[in-house]
Amino acid sequence: METNVTAKKKRDWFFLLPAIVVVAVMTQVPFILTIIYSTLRWNLARPDLPVRFAGVDNYLYYLKVPNFPEIPEFYSIFAQTVLITVVTLVLCTIIGFLLSILLDNKIPGVNIARTLILGPFFVMSTASGVIWKATILNTTFGWYGVVFKALGLTPVDLLSYYPIPVIVFLFTWQWMPFFVLVILAGLQGISADLVDSMRIDGASWLRATFQVKLPMITHHIRVAVMLGLIFIVKEFGLILVTTAGGPGTRSYTLPYAVYMEVFNASNVGRAGALAVMMVALTLLAVNVLYRSIKKRGASFA
Amino acid sequence: MASTRSLKDLSRSMKLRRILRNIALTVVIYAIAIVYFSPVLYMFISGFKTEIQAISPSLHFTPTLETYSKVLSDSSMYGFLRNSLFQVIAGTGLCLLLGVPAAFILAFGKFRKKGTKEKTYTWFITTILLPPVAVLIPLYTWYQAFGLNKTPLGLMLAYVGFHVPIVVWMLHSFFTDVPGEIIEAAEIDGCTRFQQLVHVALPLVRTGIVASALLVIVFIWNEFFLGFNLTSNTTATLPVYMARFREQQGMFIAQLSASSTIAILPAVVLGWMTQKSLVKGLTMGAVKG
Repeated sequence: METNVTAKKKRDWFFLLPAIVVVAVMTQVPFILTIIYSTLRWNLARPDLPVRFAGVDNYLYYLKVPNFPEIPEFYSIFAQTVLITVVTLVLCTIIGFLLSILLDNKIPGVNIARTLILGPFFVMSTASGVIWKATILNTTFGWYGVVFKALGLTPVDLLSYYPIPVIVFLFTWQWMPFFVLVILAGLQGISADLVDSMRIDGASWLRATFQVKLPMITHHIRVAVMLGLIFIVKEFGLILVTTAGGPGTRSYTLPYAVYMEVFNASNVGRAGALAVMMVALTLLAVNVLYRSIKKRGASFA
Repeated sequence: MASTRSLKDLSRSMKLRRILRNIALTVVIYAIAIVYFSPVLYMFISGFKTEIQAISPSLHFTPTLETYSKVLSDSSMYGFLRNSLFQVIAGTGLCLLLGVPAAFILAFGKFRKKGTKEKTYTWFITTILLPPVAVLIPLYTWYQAFGLNKTPLGLMLAYVGFHVPIVVWMLHSFFTDVPGEIIEAAEIDGCTRFQQLVHVALPLVRTGIVASALLVIVFIWNEFFLGFNLTSNTTATLPVYMARFREQQGMFIAQLSASSTIAILPAVVLGWMTQKSLVKGLTMGAVKG
């Protein structure tokens, strides 16, 4: 009997092990290697130079502030990443909430409207990038250029003059539907009785929305923000096809900087350090959000 | 008498106001929805233009199937389409093959040490947080060294590694909703673990499996970063093909529109079909996380 139980416990491992092995080999092992690479002086373009241990040199290369008032590029790229991510998340949350309130109404064919708004979320980022770039933002062939010219205005190239606002706008366009998806599910979980009793009590629309409904769906909002953060932080394709990080490095984000460090500078060590810092910062941000979700969940239980 | 009449008037005017309000709401909601979706809509429509018609943006033209048929008969897109289909079918299939048993055992398995299940589950979840950038450098060098970028199996392996955790995460909450007594009863009746999974648990979590499979399909279909960096010309997928249009300045808007319509259609349609189960899986996974 005893051996039978151990055999059963062993047998359970067989269900788990293949998944663990594949995930570990494709994600964990490479990540540990990235951490190791980040301590090496290793340039793919210079095979004549030996690969050698460099300690924290690669990190210092980015973090050091040699002549003070001048801020190194890393900090501005970091600031751009935070700016793009935070503004996108805030816009997604506010617009997503308001739109969900609208879509929670019972009007004929509301599902068609919901479906249309959901659409952009499922569009691959490179396709939405080139579509916006060619058919709308283009100053000669796009709607933006044509409409501005018809109004007697001179259309400036938005992608080179306002790269970050444009990227934030496109990210929001792509991700806001996801927030609507989650927040709307929360709103529809609010019982019809409660909504009716609010109406009978004569609660104004504003009070009903912001003082009663909003607190009831904060959990859904947090879930949307956390998942949104995980996905938006690593967004790469849209930046590549629209601004390509430019002009200069003005719309670089950390993932894009890592990519450029590998493929343009071929500097494996430095790219590794950049990647490790990016992962650390992402995990930190997600952890803070996740804890707040957990706490919330516990207080409900 | 007078008071009942005014009450009647009041209720009538309230009803009228509600009807007017609903009409206004309907108009506003539809206007927002159509404006929001218009870039995709315009792209779809532009595919029915010829290149010359597409140069200036307008909605006034005689539709033609010329561009769509040109794009579909162009062999350059075929390769990418075939690669994308391969990744979606083989990748998602393997993800389920590995992820479903893992999620099942994480819900019902018995391990010597207490807390093994929780720890393993948390480990899977943490890998979802890992951005692909974190693994790019080693994977890129391996793929170059072993020629893995020249076979679709290479990219597929990476996709499986990155999406199995998503399957585990979404399915875990569905499996924990299955009452443990059912599994125990099956165990007492002499079912092996495999039989418990296939005959007892699977039929009960069908929605979850469909939802996670479709989510993984949409993710893999749209994935760009790994597809861009870990492939060569012969193994690249559709998002990489779409990225190639980034340099041109309005020269081939009709072709671009037709190609992107074909590229995005499967994911958008699947996404629409599954919005309900998707939101259930996502919120359940995150709530119980």
